[in-house]
Amino acid sequence: MASKQETLTSEKRNKTIASVILTIICIIWVLPIVSVVINSFKKNTFVKTETFALPNAQSAAGWSNFIKGMTFGNYPFMAAVANSVIITVLSTFLILFFCSMAAWYIARVNSKFCKILYYLCIFSMVVPFQMVMFTLSKTADTLQLNTPFTIPIVYLGFGAGLAIFMFVGFVKSIPIEIEEAASIDGCGPIRTFFRVVLPMLKPTLISVGILEVMWVWNDYLLPYLVLDINKYRTIPIHIQYLKGSYGTVDLGATMALILLSIIPVIVFYLALQKYIIKGVAAGAVKG
Amino acid sequence: MATVSLKHIEKIYPNIEGEKKHHFGKKKQEEKKKSNLKQVEGGVLAVEDFNLEIADREFVVLVGPSGCGKSTTLRMIAGLEEITSGELRIDGKLVNDVAPKDRDIAMVFQSYALYPHMTVRENMAFPLKLRKMPQDQIDKKVDEAAEILGITQYLDRKPKALSGGQRQRVAIGRAIVREPKVLLMDEPLSNLDAKLRNQMRAEIIKLRQRIDTTFIYVTHDQTEAMTLGDRIVIMRDGVVQQVGTPQEVFDHPANLFVAGFIGVPQMNFFDAKLVKENGVYKAIVGDATFVPNEAKQKRLTAQNVEPQDVTLGIRPEHVTLTDDAPQLVTGTVDVSEMMGSSIHLHLNTLGKDVIVIVQTQDLKEEKRGGFELGEKVSFTFDGDVIHLFSKKDEKNLEF
Ligand SMILES: Nc1ncnc2c1ncn2[C@@H]1O[C@H](COP(=O)(O)OP(=O)(O)OP(=O)(O)O)[C@@H](O)[C@H]1O
Ligand SMILES: [Mg+2]
Repeated sequence: MASKQETLTSEKRNKTIASVILTIICIIWVLPIVSVVINSFKKNTFVKTETFALPNAQSAAGWSNFIKGMTFGNYPFMAAVANSVIITVLSTFLILFFCSMAAWYIARVNSKFCKILYYLCIFSMVVPFQMVMFTLSKTADTLQLNTPFTIPIVYLGFGAGLAIFMFVGFVKSIPIEIEEAASIDGCGPIRTFFRVVLPMLKPTLISVGILEVMWVWNDYLLPYLVLDINKYRTIPIHIQYLKGSYGTVDLGATMALILLSIIPVIVFYLALQKYIIKGVAAGAVKG
Repeated sequence: MATVSLKHIEKIYPNIEGEKKHHFGKKKQEEKKKSNLKQVEGGVLAVEDFNLEIADREFVVLVGPSGCGKSTTLRMIAGLEEITSGELRIDGKLVNDVAPKDRDIAMVFQSYALYPHMTVRENMAFPLKLRKMPQDQIDKKVDEAAEILGITQYLDRKPKALSGGQRQRVAIGRAIVREPKVLLMDEPLSNLDAKLRNQMRAEIIKLRQRIDTTFIYVTHDQTEAMTLGDRIVIMRDGVVQQVGTPQEVFDHPANLFVAGFIGVPQMNFFDAKLVKENGVYKAIVGDATFVPNEAKQKRLTAQNVEPQDVTLGIRPEHVTLTDDAPQLVTGTVDVSEMMGSSIHLHLNTLGKDVIVIVQTQDLKEEKRGGFELGEKVSFTFDGDVIHLFSKKDEKNLEF
């Protein structure tokens, strides 16, 4: 009896310790974001001196940072937003569409070609971007991949590895009988894919979609190297131009813009996260 | 509604290269040996020279132990598995190279294989929609099928909200709405518990009377095969052992395997000596002599069977426990299983395990509770119902 109580209290103690540690980690984790939020409402000079203080009567800047962020320079902020949206939407769509199809083929057709293709995709995840970026920017220029409408093809290339890896893993977990039933019920391969396989892939589509959206939306280096910067800027590139000519940076405005740029991704994530974990094939087969 | 004809159908599964290098390779190979499948050039022979003519509206059951190639055969008929050689005709039309969707067949899978993202109604309507049937007609057919199967109240649910038995009904519903020429079922009941299985079996029998179609049904359960089939096909290691009505297969098993496979409890086998005296065949077991009936005598004579060592088979229900008969075989009680109205008695007789079914009411009062272990009992049986199998090739000597 006594020992039981002892283990209970020691269990409680362990839990408390764990909670404390996790809370600290959490705070460290959100600190940068909190500081971005706080500082976006402070005047520039106070950002450096009172970084972690809440804006007070003296330091508060109201919405002026946001207004400056959206109006500075001679490149329209809205054009940057439009470019970012176009690139993100197109890239994510291309990746989801082509990679899910490719993954279905790779997972279901048992041939050497598929195996090689699969390992190539895996391998592409291992190659660091920095290793290929210089040749890439040259190649992209030659192939006219330097506009917001064509750069998604480059993203498709870089995103395919992870996407195919995840899709293949998932397709393999779907019982093949469902597709066989579809083929008997009257579906050819195309219809089997779009009417049976794709709906079952929905949770994976959403998971992969969120990952790709976050990556493409926030990406700085690739569009900076590939896009024709004078004509097309994405939001991360645009923020960069807040740097003044003598190395001065309007930190308040920068924070405001960063805040603006992460809001859509967070909203997108929150809207879709409930679909991520749900099991799909539940109920299709025995169990 | 269609005839199905299988001529010299064979299936060779290619040995997958690289599998041997895999560290499970050794285990796999052992498994293959255990399954007794013939190794041929380029793979394993999973189905060997399968010949069968299935009549319109016939209910044919493929039965056999695990791994004997039933599913493979069915999947070849469905078009899910390529036919290595032979001819498959549905309604007289050669369909070897026809895609599954163009064969006008439907299939019920062991694992149900419902579409998880569709409701029950959508699941059942799916094949009709693909055939561009007008919506009002689709609704009518789905409602009809749901009515037959008693799933009307679940039509708007997703499969994951159904029990196993209900899912199985939906799967059957999806198969019958289309009124396919041939309805294929691969162990549709094996995921259900025993009670539900009996119930669904009865429903399949009813279903069969309501829809006009040819059924091909796969099971490893001989009771299902016997109760459902017009004709049953017994397979072993990819080879057809016997084709016949349940009665034929039960009364005249073609070989030792069929004899042992069909019927519960299993047929008893003894080592016996077949002799011929004055043109009359006699089988000697231990000290007892049994004389087959006239029909059997005739068939044995027609086959010109030589006197030889044979395996004698006798079904447990044909064995009578008695002390008082001219031809007695004795044994000792190993196990006495009380089944309620009867007792299954396992006897050690001449080194073999023999099962005798004794009706409890036939027993003396003091014996009704069961028999003692090691008790000596004797029994006899009728020469009319014995089966004689060759020791060499295990074939029934009568045929
Ligand atoms: N894709 C495959 N590649 C190689 N061998 C296979 C393949 N599929 C099945 N086999 C082999 O073919 C044989 C027949 O398989 P099949 O699935 O037809 O058996 P079954 O009679 O349906 O058995 P069960 O009652 O267990 O379902 C088995 O020995 C199996 O190992
Ligand atoms: Mg099977």
